[in-house]
Amino acid sequence: MKRISEDYQSRLPDNTALKQQQLPAYRLQLSATGVLSGFFAAGAFCLGMGIILILSAKSIKEIEVKYTKICANCAELREDATNFDKECTCSIPFYLSETMKGNVYMYYKLYGFYQNLYQYILSRSNSQLLGTDLKDVGNCAPFSNSHDGTPIAPCGAIANSIFNDTIILSYNLNSSIPIEVPMLKSKITWWTDKYVKFQNPSSINLSSAFAGTTKPPYWSKPVYELDEEDPGNNGFLNDDFIVWMRTAAFPTFKKLYRRLNRIQYFIEGLPAGNYSLLIFDFPVTRFKGEKSVVLSTLTWSGGSSLFLGLAYTVTGAVTWLAAFSMMAIHLMLKKKKMLFIQD
Amino acid sequence: MQREPAAAEEPGCPGGRRRRRRRRRRPGDGRTRVVRSNLLPPPGVEDPAAGAAKGARRRRRGGAQRLADNRLKTTKYTLLSFLPKNLFEQFHRLANVYFVFIALLNFVPAVNAFQPGLALAPVLFILAVTAFKDLWEDYSRHRSDHEINHLGCLVFSREEKQYVNRFWKEIRVGDFVRLRCNEIIPADILLLSSSDPDGLCHIETANLDGETNLKRRQVVRGFSELVSEFNPLMFTSVIECEKPNNDLTRFRGCIIHDNGKKAGLYKENLLLRGCTIRNTEAVVGIVIYAGHETKALLNNSGPRYKRSQLERQMNCDVLWCVLLLICMSLFSAVGHGLWVQRYQEKKSLFDVPESDGSSLSPVTAAVYSFLTMIIILQVLIPISLYVSIEIVKVCQVYFINQDIELYDEETDSQLQCRALNITEDLGQIQYIFSDKTGTLTENKMVFRRCTVSGIEYSHDANAQRLARYQEADSEEEEAVSKGGSLPQRGSIGSHQSVRIMHRSQSTKSHRRTGSRAEAKWASMLSKHTAFSSPMEKDITPDPKLFEKVSECDRCLAIARHQEHPLAHLSPELSDVFDFFIALTICNTVVVTSPDQPRQKVRVRFEVKSPVKTIEDFLRRFSPSRLTSGCSSIGSLATNKATHKSGSNFLSTLSNDRTLLKLEEKLSQPTKAIASNGYSSGAASWAPEHTAQEQELEKEKEQEWELRYEAESPDEAALVYAARAYNCALVDRLHDQVSVELPHLGRLTFELLHILGFDSIRKRMSVVIRHPLTDEINVYTKGADSVVMDLLLPCSSDDARGRHQKKIRSKTQNYLNLYAVEGLRTLCIAKRVLSKEEYACWLQSHLEAESSLDNREELLFQSAIRLETNLHLLGATGIEDRLQDGVPETIAKLRQAGLQIWVLTGDKQETAINIAYACKLLDHDEEVITLNAESQEACAALLDQCLHYVKSKSPCSTPQKTEGNVSVGFSPLCPPSTSTTSGPSPSLVIDGRSLAYALDKNLEDKFLFLAKQCRSVLCCRSTPLQKSMVVKLVRSKLKAMTLAIGDGANDVSMIQVADVGVGISGQEGMQAVMASDFAVPRFRYLERLLIVHGHWCYSRLANMVLYFFYKNTMFVGLLFWFQFYCGFSASAMIDQWYLIFFNLLFSSLPQLVTGVLDKDVPADVLLTAPQLYKSGQNMEEYRPRTFWLNMADAAFQSLVCFFIPYLAYYDSDTDVFTWGTPITAIALFTFLLHLGIETKTWTWLNWIACGFSILLFFTVALIYNASCATCYPPSNPYWTMQTLLGDPVFYLTCLIAPVAALLPRLFFKAVQGNLFPTQLQLGRQLAKRSPKKLIAPKETFAQGHLLGEPRTESSEQRSIKTSGPLSQDCTSQASWHVQQPACSPEASGEPNVVDMNMPLREDILLEELSGQAPGSVPREAILEGCSGASKMKPTSTSRTAPLSSIFNLPNFSSLNWISSFSLVSGLGSILQFSRNSLQMDKQDSEFLPSPPQPDQDLCGLSGQTTDYF
Repeated sequence: MKRISEDYQSRLPDNTALKQQQLPAYRLQLSATGVLSGFFAAGAFCLGMGIILILSAKSIKEIEVKYTKICANCAELREDATNFDKECTCSIPFYLSETMKGNVYMYYKLYGFYQNLYQYILSRSNSQLLGTDLKDVGNCAPFSNSHDGTPIAPCGAIANSIFNDTIILSYNLNSSIPIEVPMLKSKITWWTDKYVKFQNPSSINLSSAFAGTTKPPYWSKPVYELDEEDPGNNGFLNDDFIVWMRTAAFPTFKKLYRRLNRIQYFIEGLPAGNYSLLIFDFPVTRFKGEKSVVLSTLTWSGGSSLFLGLAYTVTGAVTWLAAFSMMAIHLMLKKKKMLFIQD
Repeated sequence: MQREPAAAEEPGCPGGRRRRRRRRRRPGDGRTRVVRSNLLPPPGVEDPAAGAAKGARRRRRGGAQRLADNRLKTTKYTLLSFLPKNLFEQFHRLANVYFVFIALLNFVPAVNAFQPGLALAPVLFILAVTAFKDLWEDYSRHRSDHEINHLGCLVFSREEKQYVNRFWKEIRVGDFVRLRCNEIIPADILLLSSSDPDGLCHIETANLDGETNLKRRQVVRGFSELVSEFNPLMFTSVIECEKPNNDLTRFRGCIIHDNGKKAGLYKENLLLRGCTIRNTEAVVGIVIYAGHETKALLNNSGPRYKRSQLERQMNCDVLWCVLLLICMSLFSAVGHGLWVQRYQEKKSLFDVPESDGSSLSPVTAAVYSFLTMIIILQVLIPISLYVSIEIVKVCQVYFINQDIELYDEETDSQLQCRALNITEDLGQIQYIFSDKTGTLTENKMVFRRCTVSGIEYSHDANAQRLARYQEADSEEEEAVSKGGSLPQRGSIGSHQSVRIMHRSQSTKSHRRTGSRAEAKWASMLSKHTAFSSPMEKDITPDPKLFEKVSECDRCLAIARHQEHPLAHLSPELSDVFDFFIALTICNTVVVTSPDQPRQKVRVRFEVKSPVKTIEDFLRRFSPSRLTSGCSSIGSLATNKATHKSGSNFLSTLSNDRTLLKLEEKLSQPTKAIASNGYSSGAASWAPEHTAQEQELEKEKEQEWELRYEAESPDEAALVYAARAYNCALVDRLHDQVSVELPHLGRLTFELLHILGFDSIRKRMSVVIRHPLTDEINVYTKGADSVVMDLLLPCSSDDARGRHQKKIRSKTQNYLNLYAVEGLRTLCIAKRVLSKEEYACWLQSHLEAESSLDNREELLFQSAIRLETNLHLLGATGIEDRLQDGVPETIAKLRQAGLQIWVLTGDKQETAINIAYACKLLDHDEEVITLNAESQEACAALLDQCLHYVKSKSPCSTPQKTEGNVSVGFSPLCPPSTSTTSGPSPSLVIDGRSLAYALDKNLEDKFLFLAKQCRSVLCCRSTPLQKSMVVKLVRSKLKAMTLAIGDGANDVSMIQVADVGVGISGQEGMQAVMASDFAVPRFRYLERLLIVHGHWCYSRLANMVLYFFYKNTMFVGLLFWFQFYCGFSASAMIDQWYLIFFNLLFSSLPQLVTGVLDKDVPADVLLTAPQLYKSGQNMEEYRPRTFWLNMADAAFQSLVCFFIPYLAYYDSDTDVFTWGTPITAIALFTFLLHLGIETKTWTWLNWIACGFSILLFFTVALIYNASCATCYPPSNPYWTMQTLLGDPVFYLTCLIAPVAALLPRLFFKAVQGNLFPTQLQLGRQLAKRSPKKLIAPKETFAQGHLLGEPRTESSEQRSIKTSGPLSQDCTSQASWHVQQPACSPEASGEPNVVDMNMPLREDILLEELSGQAPGSVPREAILEGCSGASKMKPTSTSRTAPLSSIFNLPNFSSLNWISSFSLVSGLGSILQFSRNSLQMDKQDSEFLPSPPQPDQDLCGLSGQTTDYF
């Protein structure tokens, strides 16, 4: 009220740039020269990037060994539940033509295994895996409790369907004596998984810690006996288990299994030569998929994929194509009608 | 009086309770309300005074039990009711229900996609935002309510036996309230006592209806006669009145006194809440309606809710999205079913069976998947869309309000948006329907000319002076705008103090609703400039007429002692005298002086007028009264001779006792009475002469300070005009009017009756007793068409009659002439009544007045009986000046492709001439006039016109195409309308024909014809017709309509139109109250539509499109993933991102763009108004663009999905670690897309984009670090942190958005460079320096106004007169083709071909020829026209078929004014666009006068070569 009676032009709007919508503004002008130079620059960048990426991807050495069919007999054997305990091995020889230098990683790769199914992803108990409450099996149904009601540890479909093939890589230095390639099973998980997200329940020993729980139905061993060699790699802290629990994005995926321990013959990496895989199996036909083992090196850009390089190259090429066509039209019309807007 | 300031905290009475109470009461007390004094013991309470406080409370309860108290409560909620009520209201919106449904779906375990609590979050957020907004609004309402409720006023308290101060909210029905001058009335109060000597009270109703003049209210009859001070304790009467209703103009009831006597109550007795007491010291009244039952509050409706066209279209597209959503979900469901079936036989390891071990059947799985998909894909229906649009619109409204260019310094008002949600409609208007008076014109009336008894007084000096004013005005404005400061106008300086006083008083109450208060301000401030601007006050009298008036005055001063003073004057002079008397007194003007209200005079004059009863009449006309009558005149002049009037009073009292019968009075010879009266009057007058003269001197000085406050500006103008002739209205009491003449002195007319103006009669009359002749005279003032028919039929036998007839025809001709000039005409007439006639009439009139039912009708009849057999005195012409910038605005709006129709109640001639003046009609174009007498004639006429228009159209097509081609190539060429619309005619139709044309059978034809026409002018149309026309265009043509008007008669039109614009001007607030936007002036419409309308439309259209794009693209990502997860409705994007992405991460930049983006800057829009057409054609948002947009969204989602897919294919990534880069990519793509779409980048845009990115990463990092095991299923602990260390993440985030946006960018670039739209051209134009812009702008205007001189010069006027000459011959079909002079053969004479034109007077022809030489310069201008040679044959060939129409018998008149100089102008415009250099040369021939255009054109030619 005071304000109104005091000054005469009481309702004169403020003359500020914002209120008058007069803010200094940059206008995006799609002018010919601007657009063309932008397109050419972007194209050049993409092409350059693409070439670099392709070159680096080329330096990756990778070999994939499928063993689904070769080990089909094992699968059949496992179909029958009574043959549960029987050992079934199969051996797949393969030849590495080139030396794989540097760190070599061994992956297992599954085709057509839908780890990203909506219900499947849900079927786990994070708090159980953290070791705080073994009896928390909330989302794990129907793999939450065994028939007699004891909670399953680890519960849920993910844990239940764990990849349990054992893969042993041997190097045939000479044609006769195979040398088992030394592999490390540590540091194959995210650090945070191993040290934050997964914890064993605290107790004197693991078996007592997991007392009162039972193993998942498809498992042959309880969770505290997963790694007989390394007692520290047991329970929820088992690296293979942790890797498996990180559900893959696509139905075809690979997961890190082992990494090369660069000692003895393998200081440089995997030398070229004859190798063989010895596999203790995982019932693969149950998902109509295929299994394979992948040996691969890494580069700075991580994965082995050639795609990113290609994507950059193609995008760069298309951009240049577009730029050239625009320039052609531009020049044509400029000559003809003087219609093109100049700057 | 300190009380808890707790209006709402008290167990308040919300609307519900009030309603209940009303409902309960309804069966009981029927249609009336009974009000008793609260001071009386209420029936049933034995001991009312059992203690002050207790008694007071009981009293209050007793009052409040039945009737509403005066507490204002506009709040919707209380603290308790807020939540349920608000939620209930919000769920009226379908979208909200939908979103809640989706969220609730998450609570079903089998189908839930998100954590139920999380899924509710966005819905709750939206609801909370809306609720908060509502709460805030409600709180501000509560605060203003509180403020008003705690205003104080004086209420009579029984305990203290005096008036005590109370709050407004404590006033009850039945309380007695005492109000002082300048106080605001707290409730509807029945006026019982006034300090005014005549029991009058003046109120200002500006707050209620915006009318700034004072209204008169009257004490209830029976109470005014009380001599002593009104004592509320003595009031025992019972008031019966109507139930509360919202009719401001009506109040009926009666008061029943103790003795059983009844007296009627009318609206004149009621003081309405919100009005202000003026010029009256104090009044006392009893409260009849309080609080929400007052008429003011019942009339107060909130802002309107309209749905804009864009929103309708958007809703349609939302439905498409729903369909798409269902399709996607179905597809996914079917896919899932098939997938399940495929894997069913062998129990896959990854299969998760039901808890009992069985697996789902494919069908059940599909159904579950369907529902889950709907939840996951719900983003497709943008939950934030509605909220965002609302936010954007509020901001848009804010910026429109803040636009300094829409601020009117004169009225200190800015544009108000009353409807918040149709801003974008402003950018799509196709038809404008405008009122004329007050909208196109100022509604400031200036007396221009008059004619008295057939002689015209042209007031040339006055005209010149006005011209000077206008110039001075514009200069002053320039100075103001240059200086940048805002000084006050010198002319209104004298009212400054008054204004400030008004302000401080009224602010309190009028902040109730912001807009109303603001509008009130506007009217408040305009008041003084409007009704007492120097233009109206200072009128330079015409010397001839002035001479005559003085002569009358002198003669009468000498002859006043004789028997028939007027007989000494010649008939002409007596007419002159009567004319001025009529001007002075035939009105309801209130004379105010700046000093204080009149004091209450203890001893009153004995008569109350208007004459109310027969006794009254007898009393007045009794001989003794007559003898003392003139002494009272003398005493009135001195005004304070109380002793004298006291004696008068006594004498009348005695007269009362000795009442004689009516017949006896009337049988007394008038002559004797008159002479008697005069002698005594003269006797009393003579001795006081000297003293009086001194006083007169004093008063004369004062006189200039007298202000006239009139109900309509015409009245004020006339009174000021009369004052210029020294015939000044000095005083108006209820029963008498005093007129001051230099020689005669003060003449006091006894006012017997006022028959007020109404729109049906179109006239008003006063019945007075003439002090000089003692005759009873009726002065009537009204519209010429009405008054001319009421004249006394004069026989042509005697000379006198012939003379009269001649005078009449002369007057009629002058009236036509005035109309041609665009003046408003009024006829003044007089009638002398004999006493018998008067008595007879009075009797019937009194009967009519006292009848309870059907009163209005009877009064109307009575008025008609009085207003017959009139004697014509003369006529006046009042100018209603055009508002500033109206022609320019209309030209601009027209260039913008808007069709402008003017709907006015004025008569045809006036309307046409105003239309010419504001360039709505061109002198160079044809005007089709439709005046039909009957339905058949109208049909035939329409057919003829259609035929004619059709036959014309082919010849205009080649020009049309040429025009279009030229538009396509250059942004600078004139818009297509200006070139193509040239040949299309304009249509003028009068009210009666309009009624026929609006008939069901004819409306299509009429519309078709109107569509062909460049502009349409509907004259003499009623408010209903106005709204019918708007409705017709709106429904049949499916066009966006805008109606603009300022008066109550425009309200219906404003309400019907898509966008209603009110002008907060002179005629009150009704139009503003009904409108969506209120502008102070017509010219602001240009900026409102062309700039803000365009911006709002383009911003909102782009934003809506962007919303759809964004959501579709985002949903697309999820949908493609279904192909890789067995259609199991799995989402790779973390549910948190999914839910908050739209709401938080990507919402701000688009809001900023939606609010601030300017596709084309304002100056370019104003320079090239044709850019407005993009909105009209819905170029930015049409189905095609929508689907293109969706296709682009689909493409982008494909790219953004498959690039990361392939990049991460065959890697060991997990679902959510892969989903996070996709989210980031989507965000970058959205922002880049927005970047392409944003036309102006301000720092706000940058900040918003930066903020979005920053927010996303911050939230992601915090979220991913917050909890190791939470947020299933994604459990995203450390995901983002890991990704940030992964080069592939950066590489994909870089390439995917680029690849996704490449096609769009390419398309845009190619399209923008090769096939630019008008808007893009405009944008390029804007990029050039603003200095360059000015040149094309001016030449643009020049090119447009080619062929017509810019200012209204005398030569143009002469041509105008030739047109309407034929229009007065209403008896015959007239048909003339006017071709001003574009032929080389044209001589100096105007080449006007008038066929069949019966002229009433030869004089006019003479005058015309006398003025003809004036038109020569125009010929000279046009002689150089190049295409002229072809004009001649066309015109002659056209006249031939047209003449056949004469054979049609039914046409009253049909005027075709076709003129062809425009065609030449057209040719030149085309050339102008083609070759600017040639144009330059040509133009110098065209416009010889101003040297600047040449320079501009040089600039232009330089400019154009620069462009090509």
